[in-house]
Amino acid sequence: MSMKRQWQALSSLTVASVKMYFRNVSALFFTLFIPVMLVLIFGWLNNGSASKFDLTITNYSKSEISKSFVDAVKKVDAFRITETSEADAMDKLGKAKVDLAVVIPAQFGSFEGGKPVPSKLSARFNEGRPQNGTAAGLILGQITAGFNNSLTKTPEIVGVELKGVKTNNLGVIDFLIPGIIAMSIMQLGILSVAFAFVSLKTTGALRRLQATPTRPLNFIIAQSISRLIIGVLQVALLLGLGVAVFHLHMVGSFLQFGIAATFGVIVFLAFGFTVAGWAKDENQAAPIANLVTFPMLFLSGVFFPRDSFPAVLKTITNYFPLTFLADALRRIANEGATLVTVRGDMLGLAVWGVLMFVVAVLVFRWE
Amino acid sequence: MSQPILKVKNLVKNYGSFQAVKGVSFEVAKGEVFGILGPNGAGKTTTLEMIEGMRSIDGGSAVLNGINVAENPMGIKEIIGIQLQASAFFERLSLVELLHLFGDLYGESAHPKALLAEVNLLEKAKQPVKSLSGGQKQRFSIAAALVNKPVAIFLDEPTTGLDPQARRNLWDLVQQIQAGGTTIIMTTHYMEEAEVLCDRVAVMDDGKIVALDTPERLIQALLKRGFKPKRTIAQATLEDVFIDLTGKDLRE
Repeated sequence: MSMKRQWQALSSLTVASVKMYFRNVSALFFTLFIPVMLVLIFGWLNNGSASKFDLTITNYSKSEISKSFVDAVKKVDAFRITETSEADAMDKLGKAKVDLAVVIPAQFGSFEGGKPVPSKLSARFNEGRPQNGTAAGLILGQITAGFNNSLTKTPEIVGVELKGVKTNNLGVIDFLIPGIIAMSIMQLGILSVAFAFVSLKTTGALRRLQATPTRPLNFIIAQSISRLIIGVLQVALLLGLGVAVFHLHMVGSFLQFGIAATFGVIVFLAFGFTVAGWAKDENQAAPIANLVTFPMLFLSGVFFPRDSFPAVLKTITNYFPLTFLADALRRIANEGATLVTVRGDMLGLAVWGVLMFVVAVLVFRWE
Repeated sequence: MSQPILKVKNLVKNYGSFQAVKGVSFEVAKGEVFGILGPNGAGKTTTLEMIEGMRSIDGGSAVLNGINVAENPMGIKEIIGIQLQASAFFERLSLVELLHLFGDLYGESAHPKALLAEVNLLEKAKQPVKSLSGGQKQRFSIAAALVNKPVAIFLDEPTTGLDPQARRNLWDLVQQIQAGGTTIIMTTHYMEEAEVLCDRVAVMDDGKIVALDTPERLIQALLKRGFKPKRTIAQATLEDVFIDLTGKDLRE
């Protein structure tokens, strides 16, 4: 068969495979609807808590004025105040647990020769969430202005010096979306391939294809290409939703995120074809597919960090393919990592991919 | 007999120590409807699938239109149409989409509407296979087998499970395809079907051909051997009664 005819067969099979996917309600439900709902639910939960600003106050001054200033700030409804040490405040700011870290200097509210000593509050915000920091800073600025006026009628006694602190953005949604994208890639690669392919086996549709002069491999390639196309669309949709609706911060490059995600689709396709190739019917495919995906769903740090795991579990889950993918995507999105800096994760994924490809070839059966 | 299009010689198929087909030989003429009859497990389907290039040949040879099947199974699949016993098609694609796809698998641009008109399924063009009745499914399966304008089509028990109306409708379709010049090789275990459709039949049992001739001559030979029916044959059968009462129109 000529190249042109192979191409005609391949492209037609790919188009058919994409069409079948988008007409399959249950496949769409598991691989698209659930991740989208997870992003929306977690996004809205996170947005709700952001309606109040979290502030820390570190007061180095022992003056009465500083105490009344703190009291005045505490009365602001939009603020949730924690009084703490400067080191703890910086730590919280770095972890994006607070929006603004206010430090009151020692000379604040002190007098020298009967005159108030001018001093500036330091108010640092997380550059990862500049909207919250600057908004809180503006409110704080109005309080200090009012305070100045009532105190001495001179506007320069206390002022606010806003400084952005460069930290990695670790907002809940920023943590979750790359994880959910990684999860959706796993679901697509394993579940959608395994069940679609096994049903073609059991109904005999695959055998009917073998009655044509098409190479059987064409069909596998077509299924893989269609899943890659769907995977890219899926990642773009989830990422777009995160950026447009929930202000996800993509510190790294969208392109490198996309490349890492696409690589993930390929690796999980190898898993999918291993299950699909080995299983004779749905009764064999379902338990194996669930056995593979379920532990990863909860233990790969998709929904919560693996930091709190016992050491043994942490070590084991370090080598899960979904851990590699979720970590790589998260580091690109949150820390601005590149494909080069996440090469360890990429290598881990590649090893899994090659391993599964070999297993798939060994256990594959057409009937 | 005109120029044979298919020559089968001593075809053998082994499944482990079990020999499913034990040296089968026959020829099929161009434009003929050739039937392979026999009880379940006689080796009909296995014989068919070896000739189609769907199953490896363990012994003997099959040459179709000058192409040796064992040497070039893909070449065979290019020029034949196959209806499998349990044909299934992709779900969630319409009949038109499926025929386009199958055309592309042969590197040809199919004409789905014309094919569907030929098998009387034009009004179902945008429906999936799932929505078809048993008889319609078999007719669609034949349309898919015709997509590459084959020189020969293979039908494996095309009327099994169909009601009498649908079966007769399919007989009409087979005769219409034969009239178009296509050679048809089919299996069945309905004798009256073989009598109506087949120019010649091979009767298989236990992996071997036990008789091969036209239906009329096989009947004559049996009578010559002194065969007497257990009871006098009525001038009509119960199926005739059924068709007379319920009509020939398709119910689907």
